[in-house]
Amino acid sequence: MGRKKFEEEEIEANLLTVMNIMLLLIPALLLAMEIARMAAIAVSPPKFAATADDNKEDEKKEKPLNLKVFIMEDGYRVSASGQQAGAEAGKSADSNSPTIALAKPGTSLEDFDRYDYTLLQAEARKYKDLFPHENVVTISAENSIPMQVLINTMDAMRGNDCKLIGAMTLNEEVPPECMFWQAIVEAGAG
Amino acid sequence: MSAESDEAFLARKAAKRQSRRGFVEEKAILGMTSLMDAITIIVVYLLKNYGSDPVVIAPTQGQKVPLSRADTPIQDGVPIYVSQKSITLAEKRVVQMDETGEIDPSALQGHLIGPLYDLLAEEADKAKQMAEGKGEEWEGRVILIGDQNLKFSVLVDVMYTAGRAEFREYAFCVVQQGG
Repeated sequence: MGRKKFEEEEIEANLLTVMNIMLLLIPALLLAMEIARMAAIAVSPPKFAATADDNKEDEKKEKPLNLKVFIMEDGYRVSASGQQAGAEAGKSADSNSPTIALAKPGTSLEDFDRYDYTLLQAEARKYKDLFPHENVVTISAENSIPMQVLINTMDAMRGNDCKLIGAMTLNEEVPPECMFWQAIVEAGAG
Repeated sequence: MSAESDEAFLARKAAKRQSRRGFVEEKAILGMTSLMDAITIIVVYLLKNYGSDPVVIAPTQGQKVPLSRADTPIQDGVPIYVSQKSITLAEKRVVQMDETGEIDPSALQGHLIGPLYDLLAEEADKAKQMAEGKGEEWEGRVILIGDQNLKFSVLVDVMYTAGRAEFREYAFCVVQQGG
């Protein structure tokens, strides 16, 4: 019996169907992708807030700062250890005038640049120099204050050059540029 | 002469002319391999990008997410979309806002937003069960995707409601500025 002669034939794979699926996947994935880069700001409600520093030795050395920033329609009221900065002599608080007045008085609430974030940051720097281990700030606001102002205030209290990504994701130390980066959001404080 | 034999005659004539000039027509085959390679690379890259985000944030129509210099990445949590028109959770419009951007008073009991609380409690139960199944501790994180013009009072009400539904960690979602 003679051997059958086999001839190898080249078969071309039909890639058209795979290509179709791939081409459909690309726009679908592009649509699902975020166009703007998102980030998160961790905030704490008052009862879950961390203490200024867990190190007890530091607590013994320093009195707690209890830094509070109250956002009003006419500016910021900043107080520490129950004493409002810039209050009239002999008074713990002066509700008539804010500690930091508006940068753009007379503008509407929708103008987010009406607040003086630079001055607020300078004020935060003063406190940070006096209390280097403190990193907690309690922020509160009047009911009508827009969220963007709250976020800008948090940014100013944290510091312009503060980069927390390393500390949050790689357990690195918090950079010294970061001032009050742990924000507690409180209702009706001030 | 029929039309068929005419065509055959013309084809033969053309072939003769081409062979005389040393020109042979070749059949073109579309090479798809390189194109497939490129597309596969794009798809894999996009899938990797898509898979690396723990939460996909898709703001609701007309919602302007606040801008910030914060650089901390978003961690896994339950997203709540709070725009000036409504509060949305798990793709359900839970609460409608009035024209001034305040929560509909019928949905409020003090600071507690009733319909939002019910749904959040459900979500919390689901998330707890999932965490238990994985053998992990439930973090109880809620991601608030607000609006630039959202009033502080609304934000406080949403946070209070989430707190009552046993969520203990809060994160404000922001669009990274200059990042």
